[in-house]
Amino acid sequence: MQRTVTPLNRGFRWEMKHNRTLYLMCVPALLLLLAFAYLPMSGMYMAFTKYNVVDGIYGSPFVGFQNFTYFLKGNLYFWNAVKNTLIINFWGLIFGTIVPITIAIAMNEVKNGPFKKISQSAMFFPYFLSWVVIGAILYGFLTANFRVDRKTGELILTGANGVANRLLMAFGANPIRWYAEPKYWKAIVIFLDVWKWAGYNSIIYMAAMAGFDGSLYEAATIDGASRFQQIRYLTIPMLKPQVVILTLMSIGRIFYGDMGMIWGLVGQNGTLLDAVSVIDTYVYTSMKTMGFGFSTAIGLCQSVMGLILILLANSAAKKINDGEGLF
Amino acid sequence: MSIAIHSGKRHSKHIHRSGADKWAKILAYTIVGLFGLMCLYPLLLTVTVSLTPEDVINKDGYRLIPSRWTLDTYTYIFAHSGARIMKSYLVTIFVTVVGTIGSMLVTCMISYAISLRELRYRNVIAFICNFTSIFSAGLIPWYVVCVNWYGLRNNILALILPSLFSVWYMFLMRTYFRAISQSLYDAAKIDGAGHMTIFFRIALPLSVTALLTVGLMYALCYWNDWWHALMFIDDRDLFPLQYYLYSIMSNVNAVSSGRVPSGAAANIRLPAETVKMAVTIITIGPIIFLYPFIQRYFVKGIMMGAVKE
Repeated sequence: MQRTVTPLNRGFRWEMKHNRTLYLMCVPALLLLLAFAYLPMSGMYMAFTKYNVVDGIYGSPFVGFQNFTYFLKGNLYFWNAVKNTLIINFWGLIFGTIVPITIAIAMNEVKNGPFKKISQSAMFFPYFLSWVVIGAILYGFLTANFRVDRKTGELILTGANGVANRLLMAFGANPIRWYAEPKYWKAIVIFLDVWKWAGYNSIIYMAAMAGFDGSLYEAATIDGASRFQQIRYLTIPMLKPQVVILTLMSIGRIFYGDMGMIWGLVGQNGTLLDAVSVIDTYVYTSMKTMGFGFSTAIGLCQSVMGLILILLANSAAKKINDGEGLF
Repeated sequence: MSIAIHSGKRHSKHIHRSGADKWAKILAYTIVGLFGLMCLYPLLLTVTVSLTPEDVINKDGYRLIPSRWTLDTYTYIFAHSGARIMKSYLVTIFVTVVGTIGSMLVTCMISYAISLRELRYRNVIAFICNFTSIFSAGLIPWYVVCVNWYGLRNNILALILPSLFSVWYMFLMRTYFRAISQSLYDAAKIDGAGHMTIFFRIALPLSVTALLTVGLMYALCYWNDWWHALMFIDDRDLFPLQYYLYSIMSNVNAVSSGRVPSGAAANIRLPAETVKMAVTIITIGPIIFLYPFIQRYFVKGIMMGAVKE
């Protein structure tokens, strides 16, 4: 009888032998993590060197914190990228919360049927598109082919114009050369970011709303609360924990820009890149101009800041959420 | 008696309320309808423009319903760059199929293992996985290691290996496996089955929906990936479809910025408007056709991930 009870304190080697198959099943995944996540961490040493390809990561001359002082002290491009990252993420967070919640609440009011099905399918579709595809679709909206006659000031169309310019002209306004005007692009990028994820995020909120106690709503109806009041005093307060968690997660990642998004939409367009370059794209572009050591140093700062913020956000989440953290 | 009074009261309130509630309904339908259109319209526009003759586009601009329809753009594309597109298609299909199968094997095995309570170091392994999502080496060290140590430059494996294992999908899969009743495993063990048998004969067949969900998520990632090609691939023969589209669009973008000297701009022959839209449609083609069938699995997956275990 006693022999069948497993003692709790068997050693490491016993555990490895006993559950060998299970540990072996973990090996491929762990090897991939080692290769693509942990070994590259050792390459962070490059941040302290003047890296060159011939000497490799560990052979290049050590320069201490030179790379760090160089971008922290008065590198305009770097600070511009930091500013852009924070602006885009901040507004992305605000609208990326409000819009999906509004949609989820509205969706809840819509009766089941073809209308609901079709609109939900439509809303979820952008999630399936890559940023390159969205960039190409965007082109159909923003492309501009016109010139203004020097003498008469007359507008001459020289080719296809996108939907945005056709709308502007329909209302009697002048068309805009969108791809040569950086000032609009922060807004465009934020808009598309919200647009792409709104359907996806509204599903998360709808999942939360499906778990709400229906009897609360029945009671409110009996007490004569209108739908607006029910939304205001029941739905929104009950969504709060979800919102807090998602917001904290976003704050933890506030220094990370979405390079795929910026690069897919703006790509090689140097005029626009200044307006929307984020830390991640700056790391990529400076890799070619400023050298690997320099851009590694930026990436290192970003990772460390990110880690600190995520840990802070996690402890905040634990405080609010009765000991349940983000991860 | 009291019930009758109560319902009478409710009825009167209901009449009072119905005006405001009607507005709530109207507002809700408007919001849903408008946002639905905002998501559908761009896609429809892209489809119809790709079916519009080039001269109509140049004259009228982009519009949803053109005055004339044509399939010329598609026949033109397949006549002129058909071979290139076919090659890119094959690259994308190869990467998607091999990547998804590989990912599923790797992901399912580890998530099955750490879903079991009898595995003492399951939390250590979970932490090793989780840590990579909160701290990363950054782009440059990752790139240097991939190129210098693993030789992934211009290697088709560069499009597969780095994204073969996603920690996020692993945790999703673990949640599914945890829902399987342990007594089934115990019964199999008594019959002498090892973990490999239990995994392949019990755990996997019982989680077909989960496998479809996570598998489709991986497949979408591979299909939509152009980022790894941007990093590692120069060889045109290895361009995946998405990167082929990217290379077309980035030329267009560079010229529209007005920064390229006009002489140089004249030398870059831009593809016609309709060609860009047609290539876009070709790129997302399979997604459009499969979308109605696969959408619900994604919804399931997201809801599963949203519910914290």
